[in-house]
Amino acid sequence: MRPKAWWVVGAALLLLLGLAQEVDPREEAKRQKELLLQTAGILPTELVVQQGEELFHRKGPSGKTMAECDFGLGKGVLEGAAARLPRYFLDTGRVEDLDHRILTCMTKVQGFPREAVKRSEVVAVAFYIASKSTGHRINVRLLFPQEKELYALGEKLFYARTGARDVGCATCHVTYVGKRAGVLPYADVLGKDQSWTHWPAYRYSNDQTWTMQDRIRACYGNIAHPQPDLYSLPILALELFLAYHNNGAVVEEWPAFVR
Amino acid sequence: MKKAILVLSVLSLVAWGLAQRYFSEKELQLIQSGGKAYAGVFQNQRPDQALCSLHRNRLPADLLPQFLEEQRALIKYPQNGRLMGDWKKGGAIFNNLQKANCFSCHFGSPVHLGGDVGPSLEKYGLKRGQSEAVQRYTYEVIYNAWAYFPCTVMYRFGAQGLLSPEEIADVVAYLLDPESEFNTKPAVGSR
Repeated sequence: MRPKAWWVVGAALLLLLGLAQEVDPREEAKRQKELLLQTAGILPTELVVQQGEELFHRKGPSGKTMAECDFGLGKGVLEGAAARLPRYFLDTGRVEDLDHRILTCMTKVQGFPREAVKRSEVVAVAFYIASKSTGHRINVRLLFPQEKELYALGEKLFYARTGARDVGCATCHVTYVGKRAGVLPYADVLGKDQSWTHWPAYRYSNDQTWTMQDRIRACYGNIAHPQPDLYSLPILALELFLAYHNNGAVVEEWPAFVR
Repeated sequence: MKKAILVLSVLSLVAWGLAQRYFSEKELQLIQSGGKAYAGVFQNQRPDQALCSLHRNRLPADLLPQFLEEQRALIKYPQNGRLMGDWKKGGAIFNNLQKANCFSCHFGSPVHLGGDVGPSLEKYGLKRGQSEAVQRYTYEVIYNAWAYFPCTVMYRFGAQGLLSPEEIADVVAYLLDPESEFNTKPAVGSR
């Protein structure tokens, strides 16, 4: 290319960069998704869903596949199941979200030792099962005392101020919704942004496949607050609180594609 | 003497027990499954943090005078008494994500594009001057924002030990000193 042509390309790139800073992050994610689809022919989300489907039908040490597991609507029923989680399960006597229920399935039904369960596999299966809830409405309930107890804990955690930086979820995600600290404006996670329906998702900016568990841990990590362990009660509590506040929201697409 | 110490320690334990708690023992137990580091932060929640949590960052008017007084009492000053230090050192603190991370919420840095969670500080020193009152106010807000804005999101840099009094004085200089690049260079994103 001649020098002049390079100059034009450079100017166009700069212009794009300038425009990109102005656009709505959600619109930008849609554009990036289209670009990726055009160039690669398949989305990272679809690849992970396929991987999850293979894992779902893989036999564990007990000889059973994950089709033998109940994700809330009966053995092997996946259609709309993820949209109804977290919920209380009678067989384990505890509230479980999608990640935790997959863990239960792999250890209790398929017979994998706990230490043999890879996080990447749980996430892939979560992507697959969640994909069966696209178009469904979020529908979590507080029927069992365990659900009510965990919801109450989630609400308290959400409004808590803790740590050396006095941080807490609500301090930004209620008080400063729409304001920006860093790249993105704070989402209204309890209200109009329906953030619960944005996870599990592929984050194209960092090439990450995350469930809401990873997202919540990252929230804490970003503000230098110690993070709750994966599968732990505080994460489940926050999830139940968030999901309940997003009841009735339609899942546009699971797994989602986000910045 | 021994008796007095015993009585005092019992009294302080009672006071601790009466201090506002936000999480119940049962809840703290549930939080334990989050791991040691995470649970510890909740176990050690300070009474002022508990108060802000309980009232969702909007303290009732009758609690304000005592709260503000307690927060004011936490403020300490540099040994040399100077509230304006070295603006160059202050800039390194202001513009460091890991350190004070000021720019993430405040507009005005000539180094990074600022956010809009906090008020814009663009050309702070040129607009306000360097009077003793302005120096003191700026220093105290950075040292303990809760002494002026109860339960605000801004970190209590001095009160929580995130920055030393000398470091805070450096940041004050970065904001106020007319020679500081914060006042001589245009803010990133200014029009």
